[in-house]
Amino acid sequence: MATTACFIIVSRNDIPIYESEVGTATKREDAAQLHQFILHAALDIVQDLAWTTSAMYLKSIDRFNDLVVSVYVTAVYCDIFLDLSIHTRFMLLHDSRNDDGIKSFFQEVHELYIKILLNPLYLPGSRITSSHFDTKVRALARKYL
Amino acid sequence: MDPAKTPLGQMLLDEITPVVMVLSTPLVEEACFKNGFSFLQMLTPFCSFHNIDVPVRTASDQPYRLQKFKLRLFYASDVRKPDLEVAKEHLKQVITEAGEKELSELSLDAPEISHVLESSESGNTPSWLQFFNKELIRVVSFSDHEAFDHPVACLLAVSSKDEQPINRFVDLFNTNKLPSLLNDGVMDPKILKHYLLVHDNQDGPVDRATKILAEMRGTFGTSDCALLCMNSSSDSPVKHEDNPWASYNSNVSPGQDLGCFLNIDDVNEIKDLMQDLSSKHIIPSMEQKIRVLNQQVSATRKGFRNQIKNLWWRKGKEDGVDSINGPMYTFSSTESQIRVLGDYAFMLRDYELALSNYRLISTDYKLDKAWKRYAAVQEMMGLAYFMSDQSRKEAEYCMENAFNTYLKLGSSGQQNATRCGLWWVEMLKTRDQYKEAAPVYFRICGEDILHSAVMLEQASYCYLMSKPSMLRKFGFHLVLSGDRYNKCDQVKHAIRTYRSVLSVFKGTTWSYIKDHVHFHIGQWYASLGMCDVAVKHMLEILACGHQSKKTQELFLGDFLQIVQKTGRTFEVSKLQLPVINISSLKVIFEDHRTFGSLSAANTKEGLWHSLEEEMLPSFSAAKTNWLELQSKLISKNYRDSNVCVEGEAVKVNIEFSNPLQISIPVSGVTLICKHSPSTSEVTSGTKNDIDGKCEELTTSRDLSSDNSSFLVSEVDFLLGGGETTMVQLSVTPRDEGTLEILGVRWKLSGTIVGFHNFEFSHVKKNTAKGRRKGKRSPNENFKFLVTKSIPKLQGSIHPFPEKTYAGDLRHLVLELRNSSEIPVKNLKMKISHPRFLNIGSPENIKSEFPSCLMKIDSVPSGANANPSNMSDTVFLFPEGTSVQGVTPFSWPLWFRAAVPGDISLYISIYYEMGDISSVIRYRTLRLQYNLQVLPSLDVSFQISPSPLRLREFLVRMDVVNKTASESFQVNQLSSIGSDWEISLLQPPETIFPSLSLMAGQAISCFLTLKNCRRILTFEDTGSSISMPIRSDIKLVPQGSEDPVYNMSSEPLVNFHHYERQQQEFSHEPLGDLNTVDFVLISRPLQSDTNASFSDPPHVMSHHACHCSTASTGPISWLVDGPRTLHHDFSASFCEINLKMHLYNSSGATAFVRINTLDYTVTGGQLNPLSVVQSVTPSDNQAGWHDITPVNEVKVTSNVTGSQPGKSLSLGSVSPYIWSGSSSTNVHLEPMSSAQIPLQICVFSPGIYDLSNYVLHWNLLPEDRGGQDETRQPSGKCLGYTYYLTVLQST
Repeated sequence: MATTACFIIVSRNDIPIYESEVGTATKREDAAQLHQFILHAALDIVQDLAWTTSAMYLKSIDRFNDLVVSVYVTAVYCDIFLDLSIHTRFMLLHDSRNDDGIKSFFQEVHELYIKILLNPLYLPGSRITSSHFDTKVRALARKYL
Repeated sequence: MDPAKTPLGQMLLDEITPVVMVLSTPLVEEACFKNGFSFLQMLTPFCSFHNIDVPVRTASDQPYRLQKFKLRLFYASDVRKPDLEVAKEHLKQVITEAGEKELSELSLDAPEISHVLESSESGNTPSWLQFFNKELIRVVSFSDHEAFDHPVACLLAVSSKDEQPINRFVDLFNTNKLPSLLNDGVMDPKILKHYLLVHDNQDGPVDRATKILAEMRGTFGTSDCALLCMNSSSDSPVKHEDNPWASYNSNVSPGQDLGCFLNIDDVNEIKDLMQDLSSKHIIPSMEQKIRVLNQQVSATRKGFRNQIKNLWWRKGKEDGVDSINGPMYTFSSTESQIRVLGDYAFMLRDYELALSNYRLISTDYKLDKAWKRYAAVQEMMGLAYFMSDQSRKEAEYCMENAFNTYLKLGSSGQQNATRCGLWWVEMLKTRDQYKEAAPVYFRICGEDILHSAVMLEQASYCYLMSKPSMLRKFGFHLVLSGDRYNKCDQVKHAIRTYRSVLSVFKGTTWSYIKDHVHFHIGQWYASLGMCDVAVKHMLEILACGHQSKKTQELFLGDFLQIVQKTGRTFEVSKLQLPVINISSLKVIFEDHRTFGSLSAANTKEGLWHSLEEEMLPSFSAAKTNWLELQSKLISKNYRDSNVCVEGEAVKVNIEFSNPLQISIPVSGVTLICKHSPSTSEVTSGTKNDIDGKCEELTTSRDLSSDNSSFLVSEVDFLLGGGETTMVQLSVTPRDEGTLEILGVRWKLSGTIVGFHNFEFSHVKKNTAKGRRKGKRSPNENFKFLVTKSIPKLQGSIHPFPEKTYAGDLRHLVLELRNSSEIPVKNLKMKISHPRFLNIGSPENIKSEFPSCLMKIDSVPSGANANPSNMSDTVFLFPEGTSVQGVTPFSWPLWFRAAVPGDISLYISIYYEMGDISSVIRYRTLRLQYNLQVLPSLDVSFQISPSPLRLREFLVRMDVVNKTASESFQVNQLSSIGSDWEISLLQPPETIFPSLSLMAGQAISCFLTLKNCRRILTFEDTGSSISMPIRSDIKLVPQGSEDPVYNMSSEPLVNFHHYERQQQEFSHEPLGDLNTVDFVLISRPLQSDTNASFSDPPHVMSHHACHCSTASTGPISWLVDGPRTLHHDFSASFCEINLKMHLYNSSGATAFVRINTLDYTVTGGQLNPLSVVQSVTPSDNQAGWHDITPVNEVKVTSNVTGSQPGKSLSLGSVSPYIWSGSSSTNVHLEPMSSAQIPLQICVFSPGIYDLSNYVLHWNLLPEDRGGQDETRQPSGKCLGYTYYLTVLQST
């Protein structure tokens, strides 16, 4: 298990729709904002990189000191009724080197995310508040990271 | 692009140039100080040449010409490694100065991101950064492993005033005082010397100087000596147009005139001197040296043989001599010579030559593990590649290699690494590789926090300038930079960086980022004393519900501290703490609608509308359309805006919630209102309002304190962590005019005032939800027209129970008050649930309860019970009723809890004003009461015909006490109407042994019910006697003093009426005469356990209506005859006469045919019948709620109940013969009975079951067509058992 792991789902307009600290390390006060800063800055890299490859899993794309940002980009979700196209990015800030685990983690979270999207009451691009989703993500993090 | 024109090229051409060491005597300096500068400063402006045009020939034979050239002048004392601490101090000062300059902008708003982008494109990064970089690079000048900082020449200056000038010259170049570079053997001490005699013209004529010069020439050689005359303009100070020294001396006060004694000749002389020095002395000497060195190097190192030899030699060296810097190289060593050769070539722009030498030496250094030198050479290689515009990759590779090697050296290489990094960055920038440049800046950051702050800031600009610009990275690095600035107490820089960040993170939803930026910038501003701006930023982070409790406390604490520091109260629009739930906003005002309670106001308008529809005058009904001339009745203004009445509060409900985990005190919550005295200014008032809102706010506050035209309520509360409170605010207008509610204001923690303007867009949403009342356009919802005071009724019902048991009957009083002097009249009232609440008559008001329900005497007094006026229409109070003054107007009401459940009762009272002049001519008072009714007794009745008598029924009454704790005394059972007489089969003592019904207890008792209605028989038509019918029975022991309740007394009969109506719908069709209504009267026993029931005596009534007696079909019959008979069968067979009584209980004429059957009904034929019977049976006995209307077709009575025995007995008994007519037809009028004679013959003694007959009946269709569908028009019934025992007579 990684000591630091911050998982975040970013929807369109770079709005985070889900955030969780899934690492084992005891939380420091300033850690949360540092993680957000790193992940937010990494979006610049994702923006360039996402269109250069067809793979969803972009591996480690950015680093800050010993923290690495891994990104998984979902397929663009188009809602013709709401006139939305949502390009969702899963971002994980971690200090572990477990590449396969991270990939599996992303894939399973993607499945969970699709289930959320299928919920007719969920407006795509809005914040994910489901506690069930949160529990599942944390469980996955324990399993893979 | 010419590399020399790029910023890096410029920088290199400036920085990597020949160094001239200057040695001067104090008298020389003194002469120069008259002009305001030192000797060195005087010469500096003339050291760079733009068009020197000198031919240069280095190693190759092909000469080339140099156009630009520059010399760097240093005093000998400065030719040494700068002290690191001093350098740091210097750099810090540079930064601080830059920060001070920026201060003026700090109070401005944050720049827009587009603006930032634009300025970055034009290269408008802070200019001091370049300067800082230059200074940083200079930190590592004069290192011993690089040759380009080593002086190539020495300029010795002696004044003509000096004693023994020649000796002075010699003394100046005293080796003891020379820089360590020359003494340590790092560089060749034999350098070019140039002797300069400085003559001050103010001291005297030039003669003495020329004499000395001649002497000098004799001593040092003709070419190396020169004379400089200065300070020629003695009389008047010279003003120089664009002073050449100004740009070089930054720290000169503007009033000082630099070079004031130097006239144009002097300047030209200096210029000539310097040009002469560089073109005739320095460059040729350098050329010379290059050529010499090149020859040496070629001889020792070039060629295959030399290379092998070199390798061999280096391999053979011991590794043990390694130090961190590698072996010591003196100037005479080959390595140093190659390096010097390279650097000289570089300075003379022969990059090819430089490169080849650098390459040569770098392998040597690498083999020697002289890493610092190796890195330095790599660095120079990179620069040489760049300057010669060769392979970019090579250049970058060299720079990176050099950089990494420096870094590996640790702290000793840090400064070099910084310089190398800066050059590398510049190289990347030149090629527009900003994205790659930024990480290099990031890597330059060393241990020195201040330097890394600057580097990070530059990194962020690189991200900004990269294409496409990486704004998020820009922001992130600026934040990092700002943090480091802050750590070094460079708060102004920190603020500057964060201000730029604001533009990036404007409106971000990344909560922690937002909080971090705003919190810190707020803190910093506060530390600078700019509290206003600080507060502005701190406001952004107040609603930080996502943060930990500790952080929230910190944020709020700091915020309040800053606010306090400012010493004034802030008024902040849309203060985020506490959060106002604008969708909860609800305005309650009273125009012609007035409300008795808050809950009444919260009730849907539609509900009231439907209730009041009949009462209100037509023009105010909801269904008016535009065609009706409403405007005649109400003026335009009144129609357009809401109307409220002077002196009556307009209430606003609004929800405050606290997003934090800590509790926050909120005080002084008031409405912001505006009152304009005349109604005609309504339109203009709103227009002004938009621009002058702030002004309005202050005035409104003043107004409220003055109590002039309106009065606002003030609420204080403490919101705990995560709590939500609904607050009711009110404003009471005191004058006629227009009142507008603009918003709400509150004070947070007693220091900061927040206000929130109600904006129309929110309201629009609100009305869409149907929460707001009124059908006006939304923006008018907060504007009220204040009319003059009119009476307002206040009403209450007391004592209204909140919680009661079903069936509870009470006497209540409606009390109406009118506080104003103007009477109101024409009162009308309507109640939503007449089943629960009934309007009494005025004489009830004084009567004692419950004794008024008792029968005073045995005479039934059903006269005043008039259910017909108890319809759902409006109750009109008697003519002339008017309410005025202090005395309340009372009217009795009867209450009965009809059904269990939570019930809301709505009462609307309409009244008209006494004086017509008012705009509002009528008003309604709306009262609402909520009530919880608990189940109490459950009464059900089951009725079956008596087997003995026609028109007599057996009734089983089941009573269950469903309460949890209450016990009841069952007092009385009554049947309603005059037709039914009931009597008990058992004395009440046996039914209720304990005289009460305990909680959960169930009791059944049996009664007989007799229909006493006059029957039309064929025989006696006039035999009916009107005699009192006992319709009430007491269920208490005879001796008890409880009187009998009068079922026809007013409340009971009324409630019964509604009960009937209610139960009708779920039950039988109307008008069935065969139904009976029962009313059970009970009283709760006085128990100490339940206080709520203790005080007033209670009566409870339970009504069971429409209990049908006609469960067997419309026709009932009874076979009458002897049961036991003695007959002597030896004489003859026995003839027995029987009578069949028929009764038609339906309202239609019936034809009945009785067929007697002589054969035994076989089991097979009976089968369908028995099936039907088995359907009917015991369900009815168990279920005791409602007797469901059984399907009357082909259903025989189940009274006999012994059907299974029938077929058995049939088989054993010998047959008998019906001897009368086998088929009889009878015509039965409605509600009439008939008798039919029957006769059988029996031939032997035995027990006979006389059920072998079938009854067909046929109802004539009636006028009431609808009823026929539910009721079968015809049917067939089998006879029921009638056992006849015939015995042999003796």
